[in-house]
Amino acid sequence: MSDVILPPQPSSLPARLARGWARMKRNHIGFVICALGPVLALFVVIRIYPIAETIRLSFYDYHITRRSNPFVGLGNYAYLFEDGPFHEALVNTILFSMLAVVATLLLALACAILLRSIEKAAPIYELLFYIPVVTPWVPASVIWKWIFDPTFGALNYALSFFGVARLGWLQDPTLILFALVAVSVWKMVGYFVVIFGVGLRAIPEELLEAADLDGATAWRKLTRIVLPLMRPIILFSVVTCTIINFNVFAPVYVLTASSQGAPAYDFKVLVGEIYSNGFVYYHMGYAGAQCVVLLLFVMSLLIVQFLAFREKK
Amino acid sequence: MFRERSVRIAAWISCSFLALFTVVPVLWIVATAFKTAAEINAWPPTFLPSAPTWANFDEIIYHTEFPRYILNTILVSTVSTVCIMITSSIAGFVFAKYKFPFRGLIFMVLLASATIPLEAYMIPVYIMVFKLKMLNTFAALILPLTIMTFGVFFMRQVIMGIPDELLEAARIDGASEFWIYLRIILNLSKNGLMAIGVFAFTQAWANFMWPLVVVSTGDMYTTELGLAVYQRAFYTEYGPIAAGAVISIVPMLIVFVALRRHIMAGIATSGMKG
Repeated sequence: MSDVILPPQPSSLPARLARGWARMKRNHIGFVICALGPVLALFVVIRIYPIAETIRLSFYDYHITRRSNPFVGLGNYAYLFEDGPFHEALVNTILFSMLAVVATLLLALACAILLRSIEKAAPIYELLFYIPVVTPWVPASVIWKWIFDPTFGALNYALSFFGVARLGWLQDPTLILFALVAVSVWKMVGYFVVIFGVGLRAIPEELLEAADLDGATAWRKLTRIVLPLMRPIILFSVVTCTIINFNVFAPVYVLTASSQGAPAYDFKVLVGEIYSNGFVYYHMGYAGAQCVVLLLFVMSLLIVQFLAFREKK
Repeated sequence: MFRERSVRIAAWISCSFLALFTVVPVLWIVATAFKTAAEINAWPPTFLPSAPTWANFDEIIYHTEFPRYILNTILVSTVSTVCIMITSSIAGFVFAKYKFPFRGLIFMVLLASATIPLEAYMIPVYIMVFKLKMLNTFAALILPLTIMTFGVFFMRQVIMGIPDELLEAARIDGASEFWIYLRIILNLSKNGLMAIGVFAFTQAWANFMWPLVVVSTGDMYTTELGLAVYQRAFYTEYGPIAAGAVISIVPMLIVFVALRRHIMAGIATSGMKG
């Protein structure tokens, strides 16, 4: 559109303004403002501003029903270092995320690669793997709570065939970690099988055929061709999966409530702490500081991803 | 990709195991929802109900507030879906087809904000809703669900594929930009818009954290919140809870199976972003 060669034009200010105005009209600036303005305003009001405001709040002793909310500087952050439950929650969340991410992605990658060798059946398997992904977290947790139930649960029943005595999956502080990881893997694995499937289909078949001609084994093809080419999508998946798991809350909320047999162990996670500090005790400034921890974590992951991609290009 | 016989056998076996792992728990809850209380608490547990009964569904539909929660959720999800379809398509259109100052920068900021979870910034949104005296209203439930960054990104991709000549031709015929959006863009991006609608609906339906925070009375509960609260309060009556879980899952499964092609196309794009 702007490739048309224009004759030299006078460059007095009114002329330049007139030309600018003509260009804006040609680009339909009025429509752009009317159409995009409201959407951008919504973005600012319900996303950009709240993110900035979260950071501001974290420097105040903010209580929603109080008139004066004093500035406390780094007070909230200092308290993060003394807060026992917060440390517990942070350690739990990191441990849970690491286990869940590694288990989910290894399983998803292995199955996505294997599915490529039975291409015809792949859509049916992907459909079956995807059922938990569309199951909302709350009913998903309700399902697993009953499976993990110490008295009537199917898991303990299945294990009884192997001579394992009944275990309190949701009562033992260590077992509940693995129980939550199992729920998370179950919920998310199908999504990443599909994502990896997209990446795998993009690998040119000729590369693998050439390797076949050279007599390469399946293992060598996997480690020398497939995995290196999958690097960007694996990185994307690690970041996405980590963020999802770092936010874990609904399954913890449901699974740690008392179950039939015995009260469950009170497994603390980061978002659970934000919820109870912010919305049960209304210490919103302090909860804001915990949100900033979450925010920093997510941001640093994104920056790592961004830098890794940039380095590639 | 791998044609070796051993790999193919390994594929059949391991993928079948994974399919069992993903499907059996869902079948298990469906079966449980049709069992009598005595059978649910029986040892050893049974898989299929020996005497299927609708009693649990009767209980949760006629003796609890659950139908109200379902209606609330349908309302919230529908309005949210319509909002997201409008905001995503119009913003996607503008980003795809118009030049304006700071276009790239604005788009980058939007994309960057996408990955930040609501949990990280929900406190100021809550305070805002509180100051507007909107706590415990439908408006509050819907507010954070009116925009979807992935929707804008996705619709931009779809609309960039529509040839500029079509737009130019319409302009020569005297069409306004808004008419072009309504008649040409929406028509030609129907499939993409459908995919975004499905994502928006399932996302609103499954939302748990935000209703938990802004809702304070039972009549405003969504199904997810109602289910979680029942689960904590009446954990000994597993039958009706299982029935509630089934009611919450089934619409998602129907939507997914009916529109899986659109959904898979959408996921493929979200992966391409990486």
